[in-house]
Amino acid sequence: MSTDKGNKNYWKSINEYNDDNSLKEAKHHEFMNGVTDEFEPDQLSGISRRKFLAVLGASTAFAATACSDYADKGEIVPYTKRPEEILPGIANYYASTCTGCSNSCSTLVKTREGRPIKVDGNPDSPINKGKLCTKGQSSILSLYDPERLQEPLLKGRKISWAKINGEIVTALKTASDSGKEIAVITDEMTSPSYNKILNELSQKYSTLKIYSYKQFNQKTRFDAWEASFGTRVVPSVKFNESKIILALESDFIGKEGNFVENARLFAQGKDVVANKKMSRLYSVEGGMSLTGMNSDYRLRLRPDNQFDFVLALIDEVSARLNKPTNGIPKVTMNSFVAKNNLNEKTVKYLVDDLVENIDTSIVHAGDTLSVELHKAVNVLNSLLSGNKLYDFNNSFVEIRKLTSLNDLKTLAANSELGALIIVDSDPIYHYPNIFEDAFKNVQTKIAIVNSKNDSSAVCDYILPINNALESWGDHQVRSSVVSLQQPVIAPIFNTRQKEAILLSWINDTAEVFDSSYHAYLQSSVKELFYDLQKPSADFSKYWLSVLHDGIIELESEKLSGRLSQFSLEKPAKTTSEYTVHIQESYFVSDGRFANNGWLQEVPHPVSKVTWDNYAAVSPGTAKSLEVENGDVIKLTSGGRVLEIPVMLQPGLADNHFTIETGYGRKVVGDVGLEVGFNANILFDSTFIFGIDQVSKTGKNYKLASTQEHHALDDDFVKDFHKSRHIIQEGTLEEYLTNPEFLKEHKHDVFSITDDIEYKGNKWAMAIDLNKCIGCAACTTSCNVENNVPVVGKDQVENGREMHWMRIDRYYSGTPEEPIPSNQPMLCQHCDNAPCENVCPVNATNHSPDGLNQMAYNRCVGTRYCANNCSFKVRRFNFFDFRDHFENEYYNNDLTQLVNNPEVTVRSRGVMEKCTFCIQRIMDARSEAIKEGRELHTDEVKTACQVACPSEAIVFGDSNDPNSKVAKMRDHNLGYHVLEELNVRPNVTYIAKLRNTHSEEN
Amino acid sequence: MSSVDYSQEPSVLEGKPPLRKIEDDIIKPLNTKPDKKYYIALAFTLTLAFIGAIGLGYSFYYGTGMWGNNNPVGWGLPIVNFVFWVGIGHAGTLISAILFLFRQKWRTGIARFAEGMTIFAVLTAGIFPVIHTGRPWIAHYLLPLPNQHSLWVNFTSPLLWDVFAVSTYLTVSAIFWYVGLIPDFGALREKATTKVKKIIYSVFSLGWRNSNRHWQHYEMVYLILAGFATPLVLSVHTIVSFDFAVSILPGWHTTIFPPYFVAGAVFSGFAMVQNVLIFIRKIFNYEYIIPIDTLERMNKIILLTSMMVGYAYSMEFFIAWYSGVQPEQFAFINRAFGPYAWAYWIMVSCNVIFPQLFWIKKIRRSVPYMFAIAVFVNVGMWFERFVITVTSLSRDYLPSSWAYYTPTLTDMAILLGSFGLFFTFLLLFTKGLPVVSIAEVKAVADGAQPSHKDH
Repeated sequence: MSTDKGNKNYWKSINEYNDDNSLKEAKHHEFMNGVTDEFEPDQLSGISRRKFLAVLGASTAFAATACSDYADKGEIVPYTKRPEEILPGIANYYASTCTGCSNSCSTLVKTREGRPIKVDGNPDSPINKGKLCTKGQSSILSLYDPERLQEPLLKGRKISWAKINGEIVTALKTASDSGKEIAVITDEMTSPSYNKILNELSQKYSTLKIYSYKQFNQKTRFDAWEASFGTRVVPSVKFNESKIILALESDFIGKEGNFVENARLFAQGKDVVANKKMSRLYSVEGGMSLTGMNSDYRLRLRPDNQFDFVLALIDEVSARLNKPTNGIPKVTMNSFVAKNNLNEKTVKYLVDDLVENIDTSIVHAGDTLSVELHKAVNVLNSLLSGNKLYDFNNSFVEIRKLTSLNDLKTLAANSELGALIIVDSDPIYHYPNIFEDAFKNVQTKIAIVNSKNDSSAVCDYILPINNALESWGDHQVRSSVVSLQQPVIAPIFNTRQKEAILLSWINDTAEVFDSSYHAYLQSSVKELFYDLQKPSADFSKYWLSVLHDGIIELESEKLSGRLSQFSLEKPAKTTSEYTVHIQESYFVSDGRFANNGWLQEVPHPVSKVTWDNYAAVSPGTAKSLEVENGDVIKLTSGGRVLEIPVMLQPGLADNHFTIETGYGRKVVGDVGLEVGFNANILFDSTFIFGIDQVSKTGKNYKLASTQEHHALDDDFVKDFHKSRHIIQEGTLEEYLTNPEFLKEHKHDVFSITDDIEYKGNKWAMAIDLNKCIGCAACTTSCNVENNVPVVGKDQVENGREMHWMRIDRYYSGTPEEPIPSNQPMLCQHCDNAPCENVCPVNATNHSPDGLNQMAYNRCVGTRYCANNCSFKVRRFNFFDFRDHFENEYYNNDLTQLVNNPEVTVRSRGVMEKCTFCIQRIMDARSEAIKEGRELHTDEVKTACQVACPSEAIVFGDSNDPNSKVAKMRDHNLGYHVLEELNVRPNVTYIAKLRNTHSEEN
Repeated sequence: MSSVDYSQEPSVLEGKPPLRKIEDDIIKPLNTKPDKKYYIALAFTLTLAFIGAIGLGYSFYYGTGMWGNNNPVGWGLPIVNFVFWVGIGHAGTLISAILFLFRQKWRTGIARFAEGMTIFAVLTAGIFPVIHTGRPWIAHYLLPLPNQHSLWVNFTSPLLWDVFAVSTYLTVSAIFWYVGLIPDFGALREKATTKVKKIIYSVFSLGWRNSNRHWQHYEMVYLILAGFATPLVLSVHTIVSFDFAVSILPGWHTTIFPPYFVAGAVFSGFAMVQNVLIFIRKIFNYEYIIPIDTLERMNKIILLTSMMVGYAYSMEFFIAWYSGVQPEQFAFINRAFGPYAWAYWIMVSCNVIFPQLFWIKKIRRSVPYMFAIAVFVNVGMWFERFVITVTSLSRDYLPSSWAYYTPTLTDMAILLGSFGLFFTFLLLFTKGLPVVSIAEVKAVADGAQPSHKDH
């Protein structure tokens, strides 16, 4: 302690040392000038020091006690001002429209606290009737895709809307003034208002031309219909009323036309439980499609021979019916059958069936077949049922005729193009041989797209557009129905409605406001539909009411459909030994869903391959080519070369490849990158064409499939699904003559312990295998509802896919003529569940209402339950799949919003499985308790049941004898899988009946 | 040969060693500095254990997905290893308890070592049930601990029985082992070279003074513990087999499993004991304590259990056929001819075919041959567990979910690590405790018993 320390003179600066006066003044104040300006105690809020300390203490205590664990991410912020109509915890539903394909199905979007979490079909829609396909269900993930474009970009740099728009309008004016063409390439048009805007835009810019294309479309059908009947309004088919259906290379329940509607109608014709009768489906195809899988008879025929087949059918049928046709080249059936090695008996059945059921038989040709073939089919149908099976009330209409491929080629060849505007499409990916280098010299290239794609990559101006769930719109693809689209969430990013962008160019406004299109849409709907219908309500009421319903129903004009005279020309046939058929992917479509993990991971309905495309080839051809599954081959056609792995697909026509496209996109987000092979590079002008050369590359590629591929002729494991009674089958005739034929082989299974009695509700499910087509809509719906994670290709390869609901596919028969069976498989909620007694910690147990439950918190992850599950429906979180997949792709603030808040997100090391949508049961039950009544069987609908387009899934209370599910349980055709184990499953399957001729068996 | 005197029990030790030599020889390794070879061996086993630790680190950090397990095959290598190591443990208790009760004097030379192996094997095995769970950090849920959820464990689950069976086995074996060590600690205390050692041995010898009373109490406790341990020899592997037999999986659901597993465990345990003893007797010059006769006797047990296991293999096939249940029949045909046929035939040849060579006396008494055959047996028994666990799971009821299981590098690292851990324990054991029971061997040496000669 130095005493003189206090006397020491410390100085901080020379000025101080020098005893500066200003410093003396400054030293007089405690704080420097200005520091205390904002600190005026009087102006602080009325918190006293005491209160401040109390609040401080309390918040410290709160912070200390609110322990955060690994599951606690982010904050929960309550509404300070609650928006109207939103009650936390209560879902809101809005009608909108799915724009995933040109079917424009009307949807019902479930939102929670303002964020959409589930998209289902709109039950009020007369077309899709509450059903939605796999793509539509999964499209919700695209809304929360963090790789969507978020800002307008000029040459890769962020820019404001006003600035970029100003530049574009100037550029367009320059192009227009100099007489150079402005090309607008857009997707197939489904919206009358959008079409109107495009027309107005072409009035504003005189040189503007519109090219509307879609890679997979119904153009051939429309062209043939126009040639046959003189109109481009094409009726839909009443598959439900058809007794005999012949599908020619047509996947009408899988991906062509409105397949959701078709599946429903087709399944109605297969509803043996309700009607005791069934339609008979013949399928003639080169590939193996979902439709082919569901056919009663299947003929393998390369698509290039199918024109002759139709001619032979016409020849045969017209002779049998004594209705001569003229102008049709003659092919006799006998010679055709002999030449193509077809099954004579099947062909005979087909001809007999067509002729005998003349009023109820329909021939349906696939979209990828030629116009000439479609014309021939029109002739054949007019010989048969005529107009009887056409539904003219629900005809397909064109808002704008699709641009022909030739016109696109002309566009590509135009070196004088002034500006290019790509709207919501990807022409360079779809037609690489046409557009690859086409736009190099175009000055102004604008892409109006949702996410980056191969086409936007060449553009300088990139304008991001809203997701479908953030957009307004009207969609009319059917003569009687307009589906309205309303946004269910404000745009998440700085994106705009594509129509609003175009409107701003028309109106010369620099800023783009979505509200401008909202107003435009109203006036357009008023003009196009309200004024036409002249309802008594005024327009604002009308608008709100149609928006609420999501549907505007129109009077359809009555069409005659009389066949006009025309002649058929035989199209030139390929002389190549091998043919290839380029098809649309079931799930990633034409590539537009490539960045959607849910869709990439849905197993292909036939091959069960995920995350890839491949060249499917028949086992016979593979043998002669000496290739095996996964061997990469090189296909050459007209100088175009594609290297792609092969997949041995039983039932394929020999010397024929089918390749799905939509894969192999070069410019896409993380999820879709390096997934599959771009088959479009092989495409020239038709989807079916000859291959000049097939060669092996010696390379091998691993395809990730959710089911092992067993050689069909391997006696070791052949027909196990039959010998183990997993799939029980019979023929319709067998059933009609002896309805109890299935029960004859049954043994009584008894328990040595007392059964547990279930009082009150006991939940059960029934699945009609006759109606199930195996489309996987249920799988997807379950994924969305239950927060099922995407695991990625490497994990699927390891057999670790997480789907709670899967479609099992089995083959019997021979590799050449396989007989496929589908079976949706999910937790069977067994009464004597084998999983329950082996869990050491009671994490899985039984509820009083018959559910096999999983307590995730309690689960240690011994996996014993999964081992002991006879159905292998339990799924284990081998990793935290949310941060394992694609560099934590799903582990961001945005993508997490897709999760259903009612369902726990499972952590690593936990077992999970189907819960029978317990959150929905609980929802309905709390409603019933609130109203003080019993819970009724039909109040709960599981996610898979809601989604199933063919209504094969029934869910309900099996203790209620009047419930549909109880009736199906007791039905003569009802059975349980692995009954002999006495695990007492609560999922009943209705045995598959094949509508074949009795002498077959 | 004709001069063999059958009225006199031949000694189990060779060459009439004096009692002092026995004691000195057994204590010698404890009082000498380990040589270079020992350190090399220790470095090797520690390296293996470290590889295993890395494998475990990966598994804990990323998840069980680092292993080959997939959807149908929920249990893979960790469970295979668990059953394997529990099985290895069995020989020890059998030798020390059952053979003790049957008054088999030849057991004295090998009992201590075999018991030590039991404990190390069970310790090694005990790692697996914990690490194989998806969430090892809450593995204590498997214990019936009171908790605020009022949740109890599920007593119908064989896995829970496993927890009890293995922990009981470990406890009883450890106590049995320790009790057997007490007289030896007394001897060590007397011979201790340093003060620290002296203190440690004094504490563990519990004041052993070789008094008559001590011996009386000791013998009685040892007998009772042997009686305790005997049923455990049968129960542990029976309960381990219940993990499989209680399920409804074809290939697991078989009533023959309990005896079959116990026989298999004794089989592999003896093979492992025989393998390691061959080194011990050579390195420490214990050939006279563990003579070739003892090894031959072990080989006879290996031969016997090999045939029991072989019988079980064939009986499984017969019962599967006899049941008339298709999935059951397929499970076994698939084992022999399906995608895992290679594993099955490794198992059959190692477990049933090669041990048949022990019918030949020359091979039974030849150290190199018996060593090789016992190695095969260990390989075969590991594969037996692999075949049971994996092939049954990979192809069960629904062909749609069948899948092939391939272990990953992490799996193999953990397998190597388990061997590393086990042998590290063994190496430390040889330098820390007498590997042969001094008291027991001295008791069977010539001249230990009261006699009327040479007084």
